Amino acid sequence: MWEGMISGMLTGITTTLIPINIAMVLMGCFAGSFIGMLPGLGPITAVALMIPVTYGLDPTTGMVLLSGVYYGAIFGGSTSSILINAPGEAATVATALDGYPLARQGYPGKALAIAAYSSFSGGTIAVILMMFFAPMLASVATSFQSADYFALMLLGLTAVSAFAGRGGVLKALLMVIVGLMLATVGTDQTSGIQRFTFGSLELLDGIEFLMLAMATFALTEALSIVLKRDACSDSFKAKMIGFKSLKVTKKEFKFILPTILRSSILGFFVGVLPGAGATLGSFMAYGMERNLASKEEQKKFGKGSLRGLAAPETGNNAASTGSFVPLLTLGIPGSGTTAVMLGALIAYGIEPGPRMFVERPDVFWGVIMSMYLGNVFLLILNLPLIPYFARLLAIPRNIMVPVILFFSLMGVYLVTFNDFDIQMMVFFCIAAMALRLMNFPMAPLLLGFILGGLMEDNLRRALMIYDDSMSFMWERPITLGINLATIFILTMPLTRSAIKYVRGK
Amino acid sequence: MAREKVGALVILLFSLAYGLLATEIPLSFLSQQEVFTARTLPYALAVAGVLLSVTIIGLPTVDPAGKKSLSEATGGMDWSTAIMLVVLMFIFGLIMKWLGFILSSIFFLLGGFTILGERRIKRMFFSAVFLVMTLWFILSGLLGVYIAPGELFYQLGVL
Repeated sequence: MWEGMISGMLTGITTTLIPINIAMVLMGCFAGSFIGMLPGLGPITAVALMIPVTYGLDPTTGMVLLSGVYYGAIFGGSTSSILINAPGEAATVATALDGYPLARQGYPGKALAIAAYSSFSGGTIAVILMMFFAPMLASVATSFQSADYFALMLLGLTAVSAFAGRGGVLKALLMVIVGLMLATVGTDQTSGIQRFTFGSLELLDGIEFLMLAMATFALTEALSIVLKRDACSDSFKAKMIGFKSLKVTKKEFKFILPTILRSSILGFFVGVLPGAGATLGSFMAYGMERNLASKEEQKKFGKGSLRGLAAPETGNNAASTGSFVPLLTLGIPGSGTTAVMLGALIAYGIEPGPRMFVERPDVFWGVIMSMYLGNVFLLILNLPLIPYFARLLAIPRNIMVPVILFFSLMGVYLVTFNDFDIQMMVFFCIAAMALRLMNFPMAPLLLGFILGGLMEDNLRRALMIYDDSMSFMWERPITLGINLATIFILTMPLTRSAIKYVRGK
Repeated sequence: MAREKVGALVILLFSLAYGLLATEIPLSFLSQQEVFTARTLPYALAVAGVLLSVTIIGLPTVDPAGKKSLSEATGGMDWSTAIMLVVLMFIFGLIMKWLGFILSSIFFLLGGFTILGERRIKRMFFSAVFLVMTLWFILSGLLGVYIAPGELFYQLGVL
């Protein structure tokens, strides 16, 4: 195993150090930080917006760029959380809890520097953990058959709902179903029969993944900025805090070091869980640190605690890296953003899953090794550039929103050169906006849509192997194991409620 | 009515329509003999969609954010601007083929800036023209992507 890992690492290093890939890591981190910093836009939008750029590139280079965009966007989101208390997305909400008060106390530079060091450490430690765990999981998963894949996809789809907030499980599951329904539009790959095409030639190939991702995230997020008048970035200029120093003292660094180590490990393992993602990673790290702190230190949480800032920042970066483990080894996305990246992989013609580890080691190891480089770039290039990046927050929404809408529409149009896609995108944007206003989450829909085709294919193949019997669901030990995990995750919210009820009695 | 339940009701209707349309998926004689056909998954999904949405409608709403009614949740929102932007996007899709990439994109950006309240003409024109021309240069000049001119120019005999 070690030999394989070392040769894989060497493949990864060779792949990453190609000038174009170095340039893409740099560009990805830069673009990710840039987009992630804009209030209202998170990593899903950042990755979706950059996908059209990757279509002409080699798959490895494309994935390297998208990975850079992902952690760049997480890093960028922290900056708007700290400086103006406007988290770009849920994963950086916990950062604002202590980051913004620290900035208000006159230390915005220190807060940003701590966030940058924590992100770097969390990301780097998680990449090291990933190097050991991902190949192990991938080598086990190479023995998987269609039945196991089908079970895995069920697990991935249900896991998303398990980590939904209070009362959100059923809604998340329903959105997964809607996503699966949308995936059935087009020509059935096995029988060649048209489904739900209404005689339209444009729908023969099904709904374009990029179009759906842009419509449900980029367009709706830009429209949300308009709808919620208070999210207007015009007001941010006044709230902006000036920079003094980006210095962190040795004593302060020693103080947050154990927090960084603990949160990195916790964040990574939370990220590995399908469906958990960076948001849960950051909140769990924050919660853990608060529980571990002395009573005196606990009082400082929420008022500018250094540990309270370092923990979620480390946690969300480690979890972002961890979410690549199920994506690269099993083909199951660990978060909404990695679901979009899975769609990109499929669009590149790569079948995600354990075979990728064997057949495309350049993609597998290239992405892992490029993360090291990305973390270094984020630290040494972005940190000094933060004051300049932060000026973006002063761009008025009158200019920003139409530009975001334009790039989203162009991103889809320039891939297909079909104006029907723009019309369809507007239609999906309206539907997604309506569902968002009715408090339904969009990430599960996208996940269901991306996994839908693969799930149907694997189910069909498994049924053929087992003479049209569903017995594979309990006869194959691996499938049974995965199914038990699915049942456990599905019943988890019920069990939690039952335990609460019993304790209450 | 809680906005979550309104959403579930909409998806319930969608699932029913989806299930009905699934019955119209054509099947060849041979595929009718199979256990798993092109209709199997759509049927299963329609049933799951109906069951889940009915459960959400039937059960009490737990999520505090979902308890709000639609009017409560959307009150005070800037609907007119958002609707105008949606219409602008729709028009952009319609004129793209006729006016071509450059003109329709400049029109879209200028329209967007105006809808959102920007009134500084120079700033608007500079931002729109600079952005579109830069993108066009990158695509056509650097990447060699062929972007077809608008149909209108052919119709008018300009090209």
